[in-house]
Amino acid sequence: MIVKHPREYVVDKLQYALNPKTIAVVGASRYSTKVGYKVVDGLLTWGGYKGKIYPVNPRADKVAGFTAYKTVKDIPDEIDLAFLAVPAHIVKSVLEDCVEKKVKIVVIATSAFKEIGRGTLQDELTQYCRDHELPLIGPNLVGMGSPYLNFNCGFIPYLPIKGPVAMISQSGANLLAALGTSQKDHFGMSFFVGLGNKADVDFCEFISYAGRDENSKCLAIYIEGLDSPDAFIEACRSVDKPIVTIKVGGSKIGEKAAFAHTASENKGTNDAFYDDIFEKAGAIRATTWQEFLDISMALGMQPAPKGDNIVMITNGGGSGLLSCDHFERRGGMPMHELAEISPNLAGRIRAYMPMFGSPLNPVDISGTASPVQYKGAFTQVMRDPNVHGILGSICPTAVTDVPAVTDLVIDIYETYKHLGKPFIMECQGGEECQEAIMKLRDHGIPAYPTAEQAVNAMVALYKYGQIKNKK
Amino acid sequence: MGETLYTIGTDQQQAWMKKNCFPPRGYGYSEPGTYSLDATEVAAYNVAKSFYQVYPEVWNIDYIAKETGIKPADIKDRLKRMYDEHLIMFVMNPNVGVYGWGLYYWVVKLKDGTDPKVKAEFAKWYQNKDDICTGYLAEGDFDFFNGNHMRVLDNLLADVIQPWKDRPEVEYVHLCPIRADVRESLVNQWDVPEDRYRKFIFGEEQKKKFLKVQNKIDKKDFAIIEALNSTKSIADMFDFDMLEKLSGLDGKQMKKDIVMCVDERKFMLPMIYINYRALGISMHMYLVRMFQNVPSYRKAEIVDEFSLMPEFVDILQFGDSFYDCMLTVYTEVNDVEAIRRMLEGYAEIEEVKVANSKRQFRRWVARLDDDNGYWEECVMTDDFLQNRLESGSVKCRFSTDSEEVQ
Repeated sequence: MIVKHPREYVVDKLQYALNPKTIAVVGASRYSTKVGYKVVDGLLTWGGYKGKIYPVNPRADKVAGFTAYKTVKDIPDEIDLAFLAVPAHIVKSVLEDCVEKKVKIVVIATSAFKEIGRGTLQDELTQYCRDHELPLIGPNLVGMGSPYLNFNCGFIPYLPIKGPVAMISQSGANLLAALGTSQKDHFGMSFFVGLGNKADVDFCEFISYAGRDENSKCLAIYIEGLDSPDAFIEACRSVDKPIVTIKVGGSKIGEKAAFAHTASENKGTNDAFYDDIFEKAGAIRATTWQEFLDISMALGMQPAPKGDNIVMITNGGGSGLLSCDHFERRGGMPMHELAEISPNLAGRIRAYMPMFGSPLNPVDISGTASPVQYKGAFTQVMRDPNVHGILGSICPTAVTDVPAVTDLVIDIYETYKHLGKPFIMECQGGEECQEAIMKLRDHGIPAYPTAEQAVNAMVALYKYGQIKNKK
Repeated sequence: MGETLYTIGTDQQQAWMKKNCFPPRGYGYSEPGTYSLDATEVAAYNVAKSFYQVYPEVWNIDYIAKETGIKPADIKDRLKRMYDEHLIMFVMNPNVGVYGWGLYYWVVKLKDGTDPKVKAEFAKWYQNKDDICTGYLAEGDFDFFNGNHMRVLDNLLADVIQPWKDRPEVEYVHLCPIRADVRESLVNQWDVPEDRYRKFIFGEEQKKKFLKVQNKIDKKDFAIIEALNSTKSIADMFDFDMLEKLSGLDGKQMKKDIVMCVDERKFMLPMIYINYRALGISMHMYLVRMFQNVPSYRKAEIVDEFSLMPEFVDILQFGDSFYDCMLTVYTEVNDVEAIRRMLEGYAEIEEVKVANSKRQFRRWVARLDDDNGYWEECVMTDDFLQNRLESGSVKCRFSTDSEEVQ
């Protein structure tokens, strides 16, 4: 349902969804293979939940060793969060119990509401919650959590690693994909939440919440439909952090699929409509899922460049060419020759490359580049005040010592971090490159396996700089 | 074929069946999934099933009061108490033919002298095996009588029977595929002749004794159960305003739908089950084998005759089996020997095996094992699209191999 502005009582209470002291799991099952059990199990499995768990199941005396209660009202404690994993026909009654119990926030995992034609029922329940200032997240979602609190609430098989990205997603499946990616690809998150049908709590309120959350450095938002574009714009503009969006459901079939999935209504909208919203909001729009993740990571880790003088240091001319072409293709940010950026920089870098290297931009220090040459070239561009950002590339040859180059990149980054220049790495090749990427990411350097991904990340940082300048 | 005998399935199916001299069993009904058990059409049952533990108001209290003369507040208290003491459970029998399953019972006899611990091990396995939707532990001529709804007979044999069938303690296991589901837990099912479908059957003599031999359900309690199980229409069972209030769904629509499901198309039968184990009484079970030269129409006639007898709690007729039917009575309220003699008085009956059951594992997928902490855990399984003969194949079910007793 539409919200005109981010509601303060909702934003205030979102803390209880992500850091509750007491949780009522309504529909907690005794069967280990059922969803209702997985919610309790998830809270226990990830080890960090220190609050109290109260299963609600009118048929059971105990669930997972905890005393079970017939209704929320029967729980002899204050309840911060009620997580509902029950059939749709039970939700209304549970919400009434939650209001009576003065529960602070409810999360409804249950499907079978507006997305299957029960829009009136969903709206009635939403209005009931609004009348009683009980924020409702969902329905039709997988859950939420935070690695900083080891909190995993829902039927979610992963807990992401700690990091800067607040992941706010309408889709459960894609959220889970991101969470899985987090562990595998060292994509760090501050918190994550599935919004599902977003009957009540809207994007705008989680955006406001993420804006205040100190662990969140970048907001990544997966959208199937916006019910309240004005509130979205208002919330985004009030947040002094980069925001990345991906909007799906724009194709002819996608429009119908988005409604069937999360009851998202896209009739009468098109890509230009959303481009306009994101432009007004100051959000950066990604077009593919990979780009969405890549640029979110970069924006969470690195500052925006102060200008468009980006220098690329590579030991592979090919990766340099892929990069400079892609910079131009993305528009608005072509690479400049080294001589244009800083007249003496080329000369200084020459000392770190063989005679057949290329001191243009991209700077090709050649396939024989040693860690010493990498270090010298990187240090030169880092120290040059005319350089606004550095793109490094490792293309392993038989003589490339990838681990040593990785370590020196980390060292240089740590040494000169205070200069506020974005540093992005690309490492294309085999297993050693994968390891290098993970290590770089663990040290706060966005690193990617392809040149285009690295360029996309740098372009996003640059765009964010422009957005900030406009604000 | 009589027009009224097979009234389930769509109009198209009915039309198709009329082209055949005999509607082939298993093909005259709906395809799988026509009405899933969480479908909108089944909402009234599901809402009542979800709330009756806490809100006895889901029942049609005014109707019960009128039928029994008991005050509404007392009715609610009694329903609540009977549930809290696990004496009753609200359950539903889906017509497996409509849903595309076969209904396969099987009887197990362990060798004489088998260590009780081994029998307990078998009981534990059967109790935990979710594919067994109904089952009984017994003492006497046989030891277990269990049933499965399954789409593929091979899946039953490979995944439910095979794991223990070749154990040295097993004397025999005989399959008893259901031909007619006539009565279960005192309520006539869809295969009862004439217009006796969904009638609650309990003889006056049995009722009198029932109220004497146990002290947990009294006359008023029983009158309430009887009223709920004896509504002329399923619509009289529920308070649809209350169902609407609790669920937010349209009460009028729920009423219309449930009448269609239960009264008109007869593909599901909700009812109150009496948990005889909790009452401390037992069930006497008669496994009946008729001579093979008895014509099948006569076998059916005999079962129809049984359906007129109010002693029987369950009446199941089998096809393609060593046995022809299973009959049960509450032991303590009947002269079980006289019933045996009555059965043996039929010239067509070759043999009657007898056993006594003090424990039922599940009632139509709802677990009854309060002692294991699983009271009313409902575990609906389906072997749809599965090949359980393949080792390591995906098995869509709730229990896992590690949870089953090996």
